[in-house]
Amino acid sequence: MAGKIKPVSEIVATIPNGAHIALGGFAIARNVITIVHELIRQQKRELVVSQGVAGLDTDLLVGAGLVSRLIIGGGSLDRFGPVHCINRARETGSLLFEDWTSLSLCFRYLAGALGLSFIPIKSLIASEILERLERGPGAGDVKPMQCPFTGEGYIALSALTPDVSFVHVQTADADGNCRIDGPRWENEEQAKAAKRLIVVAENIVPTEEIQRAPERTIIPGHRVEAVIHQPFGAHPTAVFGCYDYDAAHLKLYVEHSKSGDRIGDYIDTYIRRPKDHLEYLEKAGGPQHLARLKADPVLGY
Amino acid sequence: MSDIRATEIMVAAGAHELKDSETVVVGIGLPQIACFLAKATHAPALTPLLEIGVANMRPKDTPVGLADSRIFYRATCWSGFLDVMGMNLHRGIVDTGFLGALEVDRFGNINTTLSREGGRLRYFNGSAGGNDVASLAKRVIVIMRHEKRKLPVAVSHLTSPGFVGGKTRAELGLRGGGPHRIITDKAVMGFDAKNHSAALISLHPGVDLEDVLANTGFPLQVPDVIASTRLPTAEELRLLRDEIDPKSVYLGGAH
Repeated sequence: MAGKIKPVSEIVATIPNGAHIALGGFAIARNVITIVHELIRQQKRELVVSQGVAGLDTDLLVGAGLVSRLIIGGGSLDRFGPVHCINRARETGSLLFEDWTSLSLCFRYLAGALGLSFIPIKSLIASEILERLERGPGAGDVKPMQCPFTGEGYIALSALTPDVSFVHVQTADADGNCRIDGPRWENEEQAKAAKRLIVVAENIVPTEEIQRAPERTIIPGHRVEAVIHQPFGAHPTAVFGCYDYDAAHLKLYVEHSKSGDRIGDYIDTYIRRPKDHLEYLEKAGGPQHLARLKADPVLGY
Repeated sequence: MSDIRATEIMVAAGAHELKDSETVVVGIGLPQIACFLAKATHAPALTPLLEIGVANMRPKDTPVGLADSRIFYRATCWSGFLDVMGMNLHRGIVDTGFLGALEVDRFGNINTTLSREGGRLRYFNGSAGGNDVASLAKRVIVIMRHEKRKLPVAVSHLTSPGFVGGKTRAELGLRGGGPHRIITDKAVMGFDAKNHSAALISLHPGVDLEDVLANTGFPLQVPDVIASTRLPTAEELRLLRDEIDPKSVYLGGAH
């Protein structure tokens, strides 16, 4: 059963400072919290982070001061609030910021996943998003172009190929064959664009289980470098079919994230002092609290 | 029915704009509520899509946003951005994009990125799928509170294009048809076919023209005959209050 299953500390130790990492979360769903916490514990620096719609994961990395450049399409904690740490960093200019859109980043990952050097798109046109990209750190990644067949105008986007992509999934086997239940935003394109792919799985199943319904495999094992097995690994964000978001903890996080000092307290209490994810879960309420978040099998939340 | 809230009139007006059998990409918040009201009443064959990769969901228990499992309950398809935003929106088959906004200006340009109120720069959620929807849907409906600061002459940040600079969508190089309606808690606005500026269509019952003009930051074109916005029916109110938003998460506030 061991296969590609590795401890998170061992995997995160292989991520160099300055690496471009792509995160598979969306707002308050399936955030790679296991990875983010360990990146913070190991004090990584100067990370470039890309993501379609940033959530608690990227907000925490920015709040902990690990990020030098952000490439995102948007950011939100849904009705719990905005991504305060990211927005504050933009307001103070403390990191390089590239503001894209959900589809343009998905297309850039898709180009990367297909081995194309660029891809044309019909959005961004005539917007200030495009203007800012053209005069900011994204300047080399957008260019007007014409279709060689029809002459129609497009914006050409460069391919995006992260050094490492991290994605949180419901189910994997020890070889890294992954199922993602529920909607999966840009997970597949992002994962397959990356040079290295690490998955965090709630549940590890035997390969026979994968073989019973291989059409459910969204990421096949041969693309995966390592699997980290971590139940409640996305807490306090939701994993469809496994557990709901932890509303009380998200509120607590948002309160702390409103100031640079208080986010430091959160990080010390919930990330630096616990030695691993199990100790974090204990600190965040323990088994009885987590049991209340478990999904109803019919509802999925 | 004097106890009808302005938000209820606004949401019903949004629902009334949607036609049966349309394909609609809905943004978070009031657009979801209006879309589900339409689907529960006159537009049962409407197909709502969510950017994250959801088709035809039956939301339950008042979801808090797009990432909430409650919103994609009983969907008929789960996919991703590439399907919904790529193979539907970019493909050109989405009839209506239904969005919220921080600011909308007279040409229907949308800001969801930042505010500069009181000289202080503050950032918000950014585009996510908003720019893609506004660029690519056949028509765009925006639903938002009617406040002077939210309806400026020009948006503080042009996140998603309308008729930028009063130009046609073809001149801008955009495929989607552009802004069609701005629906607020006071009025319904459309766009002049020639100069592409916002023009009043109807006032909600009980709202007078002076109130709307005083609370609109851009010069609003006013027609000779101003219609009155159709009120929600008793059944629509029941659906909104008892089924769609029983805790008044989205409808609360604006009286």
